[in-house]
Order: sequence, then C-alpha cells, then structure tokens
Amino acid sequence: MKQQLLSIAGVRDAVLQLPDDALTPMREAALAHLDEHGLPTVRNEDWKYTDLGPAIDISNRWLAAGARLDVGGDMDAAIAAITATIDANWLVIANGRIDDSRTTSINGLEFSRFSERPTPFDMNRPLANLNAALLRDGLRIQLSAATEKPLGLLIIDSADEEDGVSQASIEIDVAPGCDAEIIEYQASVGDGNHYANSIVTLHIGRSASTNYVRIQKRARSHVQTGRISATLDADSKLRMASYDMGGGLIRNDVDIDMSEPGADVIFSGLYIAGDGQHIDNHTKVDHRVGPTTSSQEYRGILNGNCRCVWNGKAIVHKGANGTDASQANHNLLLSDKAEIDTKPELEIYADDVKCSHGTTVGQLDAAALFYLRTRGLDKRRATEILTHAFAVDIVDRAPVAAARDAIATMVESRLADLVQDVAL
Amino acid sequence: MASENMESLVNRRYEHGFVTDIETETFPPGLDEGVVRAISARKNEPKFMLEWRLQAYRQWLEMREPTWAHVHYPQIKFNEISYFAAPKSDDDRPKSLDEVDPKLLETYEKLGIPLHERARLAGVAVDAVFDSVSVATTFKEKLYEAGVIFCPFSEAVREHPELIKKYLGSVVPRRDNFYAALNSAVFSDGSFVYIPKGVRCPMELSTYFRINAANTGQFERTLIIADEGSHVSYLEGCTAPMRDENQLHAAVVELVALEDAEIKYSTVQNWYPGDENGVGGIYNFVTKRGDCRGANSKISWTQVETGSAITWKYPSCILRGANSVGEFYSVAVVNNMQQADTGTKMIHIGPNTRSTIVSKGISAGKAQNVYRGLVRIMPQAHGARNHTQCDSLLIGSECGAHTFPYMEIKNPSAKVEHEATTSKISADQLFYCRQRGLSEEDAVNMIVNGFCKEVFKELPMEFAVEAQALLNVSLEGAVG
Amino acid sequence: MLEIKNLKTRIGDTEILRGLTLSVQAGEVHAIMGPNGSGKSTLALVIAGHDDYVVTDGTVTYNGKNLLDLEPEERAREGVFLGFQYPVEIPGVNNAYLLKAAVNAKRRHNGQGEVDAFEFLKLAREKMAALGMDPKLLNRGINEGFSGGEKKRNEVLQMTMLEPSLAILDETDSGLDIDALKAVAKGINTLRSPDRAIVLITHYQRLLDYVQPDFVHVLSEGRIVRSGDKSLALELEDKGYDWVREAASA
Repeated sequence: MKQQLLSIAGVRDAVLQLPDDALTPMREAALAHLDEHGLPTVRNEDWKYTDLGPAIDISNRWLAAGARLDVGGDMDAAIAAITATIDANWLVIANGRIDDSRTTSINGLEFSRFSERPTPFDMNRPLANLNAALLRDGLRIQLSAATEKPLGLLIIDSADEEDGVSQASIEIDVAPGCDAEIIEYQASVGDGNHYANSIVTLHIGRSASTNYVRIQKRARSHVQTGRISATLDADSKLRMASYDMGGGLIRNDVDIDMSEPGADVIFSGLYIAGDGQHIDNHTKVDHRVGPTTSSQEYRGILNGNCRCVWNGKAIVHKGANGTDASQANHNLLLSDKAEIDTKPELEIYADDVKCSHGTTVGQLDAAALFYLRTRGLDKRRATEILTHAFAVDIVDRAPVAAARDAIATMVESRLADLVQDVAL
Repeated sequence: MASENMESLVNRRYEHGFVTDIETETFPPGLDEGVVRAISARKNEPKFMLEWRLQAYRQWLEMREPTWAHVHYPQIKFNEISYFAAPKSDDDRPKSLDEVDPKLLETYEKLGIPLHERARLAGVAVDAVFDSVSVATTFKEKLYEAGVIFCPFSEAVREHPELIKKYLGSVVPRRDNFYAALNSAVFSDGSFVYIPKGVRCPMELSTYFRINAANTGQFERTLIIADEGSHVSYLEGCTAPMRDENQLHAAVVELVALEDAEIKYSTVQNWYPGDENGVGGIYNFVTKRGDCRGANSKISWTQVETGSAITWKYPSCILRGANSVGEFYSVAVVNNMQQADTGTKMIHIGPNTRSTIVSKGISAGKAQNVYRGLVRIMPQAHGARNHTQCDSLLIGSECGAHTFPYMEIKNPSAKVEHEATTSKISADQLFYCRQRGLSEEDAVNMIVNGFCKEVFKELPMEFAVEAQALLNVSLEGAVG
Repeated sequence: MLEIKNLKTRIGDTEILRGLTLSVQAGEVHAIMGPNGSGKSTLALVIAGHDDYVVTDGTVTYNGKNLLDLEPEERAREGVFLGFQYPVEIPGVNNAYLLKAAVNAKRRHNGQGEVDAFEFLKLAREKMAALGMDPKLLNRGINEGFSGGEKKRNEVLQMTMLEPSLAILDETDSGLDIDALKAVAKGINTLRSPDRAIVLITHYQRLLDYVQPDFVHVLSEGRIVRSGDKSLALELEDKGYDWVREAASA
C-alpha cells in the first residue's frame, strides 16, 4: 500500500501565505527539509504500526482549500469550560494562534514569542519540519519561581465542514532549583476533520523539578501528533503522566535526554481506546551519563475495533554507569477486534546498570469478575469496577494535584462509555 | 562440568581452527545463471529442482540485503564468493564410511564427531557436511529399518522427489528474504529427514557442518518432516577454520510437524568468530523456521551460539495447528568484536497454541548482542499463551546488550508476558569465588554456566557438555 | 602463623586501618571486637585480598610468606578462609558445585587428586546435618534465597569442608537465633586443633560463650587498643565501647 504523499507545493503556498516575519528563514529551511525527507512512513521502524495517511489526507485537503487557520466554529465556550474545570494559569493555543491574555504578569512566569527572538530549531525530530514550516508563531516560557497555580497549556482546535490543520510549538525552560507544575491539555471542538501537530521542548535546569500532566481528549475525527522533548540537567527531576481519553489517530512521542548525573524521571501513561481509535505512545529515554534513573509504566484498556501501540526505548550510553532504567506496559484487551502492539526496548552499552522491562497482555480476571457477580453486581458494572481498578494507579500518579480530580472524573466516565460496548 | 576440564579449556583458543589439506574442486567465484545450472548439473538433479533454483535466483536478483539488524559489516561482494566447493573425490562418492577419504575422517575425529564406531556407541546418527557437500551419513540402514529417511539433501532430491516437491519451500518460501532466496538458488547440500507416521526416531540425528575451503560460501539446506504422531530429536554442530577473510554461511532450515508430531532441533554453533580485532570470522545469516502444521504438534528450538563474527538468525515457529507448542531456548555469547542479532518469532494462528521463549545473552569484550523477537497472536488464535524471559549478562564496560521484543496481539483471550533483566558479573561475586580458591576465569565460567542453566537443560546430554565447554572457551580473556 | 605489623589501609581517600599489629599462632583462637566502623571487616577483607582496599604501609606474613603478594584464590588455596559477614548470592550456580570446585582447587594446589564425588557428597551431607542445615540447600543456587541464618551456616559448612589453616569469621554470629548460634559454634569448635588458628570477628560477646577464645583484642579507629584474655570480652560487654574509646584517646 503506497502512502499518499503530502503536497509539498501546497505547503509552499501555505508558507507564503504566512506573514513575512522573523520566522520566515526558519519556515523556508523547514520546507526544504520537508521536501528532502518527507514525513515518516510505516517503513520507518519507529512508525511501523502507525500510518500517517489520515493526517496527510487532511493536510492535503486543507492545503488545497487554501490553508486557512480558522476553519471551524467558535471555541470560547469550550475554552471557558475546560479552564473552569482545572484551576491553573491557562495559556491557550487555538487553531495554532497563541492567546496568553489570561496569564499576564504572574510572578515567576515570563512569556515570549519565537518571532521576537528566533532560535535554532531541531529539525531532525520527526514532524518538526512540518511544524516549523507551517508555524504561525511559537511560544517560549521561562519559569523562574514556583507559582501558586500550575501552568496550563490548552491546545484546542476546531473544525466543522472544512478540514483543518494546526501547529503548536512551545519551549519551556525551568530555571535551576525551580519547582514547576505544568498541565498540557489537548482538545477539540466540532466534528470536522482536523490534524494537530505539536511540539513541546522542555528544559529542566540543575536541581529543578517539573511535574507535568498531559491530557488528550480529542474528537474521533481528530488526528494528533504530539511530541515532548525533555532535557534534564544535573540532579533535576521530572514527574510526568499522560492520559489518552479520546482522539481518532493519536501519536504521542516522549523523548527524554539525561546528559548530566543525578537526573531522575518517573513517568506513566494511561490509554483508553474504543471503536475506531488508534493510539500510539512512543517513549525514548537516553541515559547519557550515570547515575541517572528512569522508570515508566503505561497501561492500556482496549475495546472495540481499535489498535494501540506502546514502544518504550531506554538507551544506556557508553560509560553511563549507575543507570537504573525500568519499563512496564500492561494491557487489558476486551474485544476480539482490538489489537495491541507492544515493544519494550533496551539498548545497553555500559555494564554497571540495572535495567528491566516487563510487559503483559491479558484480560479481566475471570475469578474477580465472578466474585463481584456473586455479590450481586451485573457484568457491566463488574467490568467497569475491574477496569477502573486497573486504571486507578495511573490516575493516582498524576503529579499535578490540581488536575487529579478532573482526570479521575474523565477516566471514570470514559470507562463507563467504553464498557457499554463490551461483549458480555 | 568438572573443574579439571576448565583448566585446560581456558588455556585454549579456537581449537577447531585447523584447515584440512584435501584436494577440493571449487567453482570460480561469482554467481550467474550458469553457476546455478552448474551446481544443479553437478548434483544430477531432476529438472524440477533446476527450475526451482532458477526461479529463486531470478527473485534474488530483485531483492536487496536487509539492513534492519543491529549489526555492522562491510558490504558483501557476492561476486567474489565461490558458490560450490567439494572434496575432489566426490566424483565417485563413497558408498560406505570405509570408502571415505581417511583425511576427512581424521577431520571429523579432530572435531570430536562420533562418526565411526564411536557413533554406534553414542547412538547418534551423523550426517557430515564438509564445505558444500554431504560426505557421509552413518546408521543409514538401521534408520531405514525404522522407516526413517536420513540422507544428504542431494540424495533426497534424486530418491524422494515427491517429498521434496511437496515440502521444499513450504515453510520458508524462496523469496522469504534475501539470504533465503540466495540459498534457494545455490544450496549445495544439507540433510533431509523424514519420520513416518507414528515412528519415534530410534536415535538422535545429527549433522556437523564444516566450512574448510577458502573464499567459499556455505549454503546448506535442511528439511525435516515429522509425519503424524512421530518424534525426532536433531542436533546440529558447526565449525570452520581460522581465516582472515570473512566467509558467508547462509543456510535455510525448514521443519514440518504434522498432527501430534514433535521435532526437537538443537544447535551448537561454533563457526570461527574472528580474532580479537575482528579480523575474519563467519557471517552466519541463517533462516530457520518450523511449521506446526498439525494439531497438538510441537517444535522446540534450542541453540547455543558462541561462534561467528556476525550472527543473524531467528529460529521461528508457525503455530498453525490447534494446541500446538513452540519453544525457543537460546544462549548467545559474544566476545571481542563479535555481533549477534538473534531471537525468534512465534506466530500463533491456531487456537490454544502456546509458546515459551527463554533467551540468555552474554556480552564481553567489545561485542554487541541483540535479542530480537516477535510474538504475534492472530485474531483466530483463541486462548493463545506466550511467556518470554530475556536476560542479559554483561562482562566488562565496552560491550553492549540490547533487547528488541515485538508483541502484536490481536486476540482478547491471549495471555502474553514478557520479562527482561540485565545484570553483570559483580566484583563481589568474583571475590567470593576467589576467596574459595577458584581462579577468576573459573569463577566467570561458573557464573555464566549458572546463568545459562535453564537453556542447557534443554540440550541433549552430549551437547550440553560441549556447549558448556564452548562457552568457557569463547569467554576466555573476558575478564582481567 | 599470621603476623600483621603496622598495617595501614585505605579505601578511596578514607584511611581505615591505621597501624594495626596482630600476631596469631597455630592452635590459637582470637576474638576481635570493636564498635561499628572500627575496621573489623576491613581487616578480614584485607587478609582475604579484596582489592578495594589499598595497603599503604605495614606487612602481613602468613606461614613465612608475604600474604599481600598473593591473589585471593592463592591465599584460599594456602589455607586462608574468610567467612563473610554478607555472603553474596550467586543465582543459578549450584551450592554443591562451588563446594566441590573449591575443595578440588585446594587439593590440586596441594598435589592431591580430586575428591570422589560420592564420598564428597556423603561428607557434605553429614556436615550439613551436624549444622542443622536442610540438605536441599546443597542443590540450590549459592546463597540464593537463603535466610540470614542459612547463609551463615553455609559459610561454616564451607569452612568445615575446606579445613583451612587460618579461619577468619566475620560476624558469623550476627542474625542467628540461639539454636543456630549453638550449631555454628559447634562447627567452629570441631575445627579447633593445634595446627589451625581461628579469628572471630564479632560485635558482641555472645558467640564467645560457646567458642572460648584464647585472646581478645579490641579494635578502635583502625588500631588494636587493648588485648587480653576472654575476661576482656566480658568487661567490654559490661562497660561498653565508649570505655575503650576513652581509653584509646587517653
């Protein structure tokens, strides 16, 4: 099956439509890179299980129709609802436009645009070329002191009749010794087709710590590719959790680079997929020196005709002695149309290391199900309870307390929906 | 193993690295249709076989070398390899062991292969493949009485064409991959086994492969068919002389297990690994696959991989029959500059199919060791089970151990578990053993043997001893 | 048998033994006591040849040989046995296998043939019974999943099988209940002989109720600060280590 190609000519036209500003050279360089390297295909090992075809189709239609940023309906009500649910200093990127009006003058937070001070952009990350070529503007955030409320990043897109495409690029720098709490929330408005491509570049300074929560609650008609690239300085900490509740085709990438000793990462993820969903989580942790530690656990619940992918990779570079890396991925398969592809990878070039991974794929415990039924619960409720029990550990690990209740509610209602369709 | 053996073992190097001075007939290097025809003619093959080879050759021309494995080597110049080498005396092939060139027999003696009387004592039937030709098969008659066919592949092509036509390429199709296609075009010999219905093969079957001539590739082909309710255990051993050039070994092994049949296939691979600087050694690019075609059938692969400069092999099981069982037990040891990318594929198609994977990788020196495995549960494979245990042991800080497991699960009743660990031989463990009077080398061997125990216990007795000995030799100089 | 003169060692930048002198003759049982961190285990590991410890000064002579010149396994084959405070676990390697390999390594060193496998096993079983050990432990991985008491008994088992000339037992009594302590003490006592020396390193004197020492030394800050007969152990028990420290700094 030959993949539809992205229309480079269309992208070129779209680039020309964007305002001629300080970012123009970056866009042109990105366009050239895109022309030369294209987008990843399933022949690329890292994209083996995820075909970007739907993203390319949407993009081509959007480009052909004039590449307008605002194709969908009004998002104000949706933005108000989300920002009211979780108490945070919210920044909004709606259809690729940055709105930081809610977060002016908060002590410890400083914002600037890429267009004010363009900096080199790492184009070698997959889809970074597309992102940079079509980027209207990027947001740079400097966190220099702990704030009372977490920083909220709402990336929201709206599409109705016409297809839409948006790019978001955010650079976050957490100053040495600073504690930061960040919530990234990706959402949709309308039931049109949309492709959202985002990149968050996170730098955590020496002895700083960052707690990061990532919520994805997109519509089934939306495609999302979202990347977080985090670099950790000496003795810094990252605690992260991601929750995939919605979306049609979702591909998340987490890249963590630890090149100074004492860096320490714990992250986890929960993906819940039903009919028509494809959710792919790829993580890569580079232990460049020791001692550094990373620990990750992802859990998935799959029902209906869906496919999920988890690929965790830990690389222990030469000389990175004292590395401790662990990976775990556990999956519940509730339907005979669901597929999980899981791939825990270790690449180890040092000997004084502790590395392990464990992966399981299974079903609900029949004995537990039976036990609950003897206590008078119907099968659906029992299933709901057991899937919830499977998910709850990851919910509890949400490292930003302000978001935890909202996540718990979301997971509960998502699971209640999901088990409606379980073949009983 | 008794420690008196260790002492002598650690002091030896690659002991199978001798060259036998025998006149051989070798084709000039290079590959074209003419060479394929010449190989076929040389073996008096029927026309269907030549056609099959030619189709493979044409398919091969359109294929490209795979690059996805985690190994690095200079490009192989396929036109500088000779695709056929045979001891000269092959023209009048020996009818019995007594007629075999005594120098060849001497070679097998050196290899410690129980080919002659010793074979009878050991109760192992041996087919020996020297360079590209099968030179002797022992115990043929006794096996014939039981109805078992165990003969050189070239003989099977002439004597049992119906079986060859039916099964050859039915597990590993000609164009399965680049090296399988090449093998299909130019394979020279190998072993053929057929176990009839309900027969339990009365003895272990064994093949020893040896590459002797310089600049030749070895492309043997093995086909084992276990008919309904039959049972066979097959052993394979490999050695090669020490040479500065790299030599290509691209074999294909096909196993077919029909209903209620069981095949146990054990390999001790000790091709020349090259020297400490990575000069020379065998490129071992092998396709091995078993098809559990019938219900309740079982295929079990056990491998001990200590040799070769580069190993690239994934003995696999296609679990087609209901309740069929696939097993893979592997020890892969790499030292110095060796590279191994090995593992298995378990394809679950039938209901209630089960598979077990136990992989033990040991890396020392500057060597790189990769486990790459696929477990695929197809939608119709209800109740399928897999358990994978994948452990790495590192000796020294310059080697690498990598784990790339793929699990593709398309059935909700499947249970799949995968665990992996990485450890090193700790200074504390070594010191403890040395305090008890063991040398550091003995201590390493002992710990490594302990690490591999789960796999060794799957090997037939005679092989288990050899495997442990090889392990110790290949880790020589790994510490200190 | 063992002559240690002015031994100074360090690990990394930390000096641990700071001029230790000790003389042990054949037939004697010495007890070395001292507070945590005084250098007791270091002394044991240095005698056994652990290379984390750098000897910066002094000499260690064993039966007239410079012990510091020998590799750990050579020391072991010459009859030096260390019962570890924390015996390591070596998964997958059979306990009986190590025992036999160790005995044979020593026998070869002494120009003797290897032990008969059957006799060996019989002997090992007898000794295990005497120590109150479950014979199944013989076929388990070395110390793998052993309880604290089982590990210590396993050390004593190895010692009785290897019949060393100089046995150093590092806190072999710690973590043992009374029955285990008695069994271990019995094992040690059976080894007492005119041509063998035993050094007990211990924090408490309770082992010394069962294995009567000829000499007791108190180690503090890397030096032997007091030596005496077994009454010194009782005195220590009574007055505590602070008393020694004060005496040492006085």
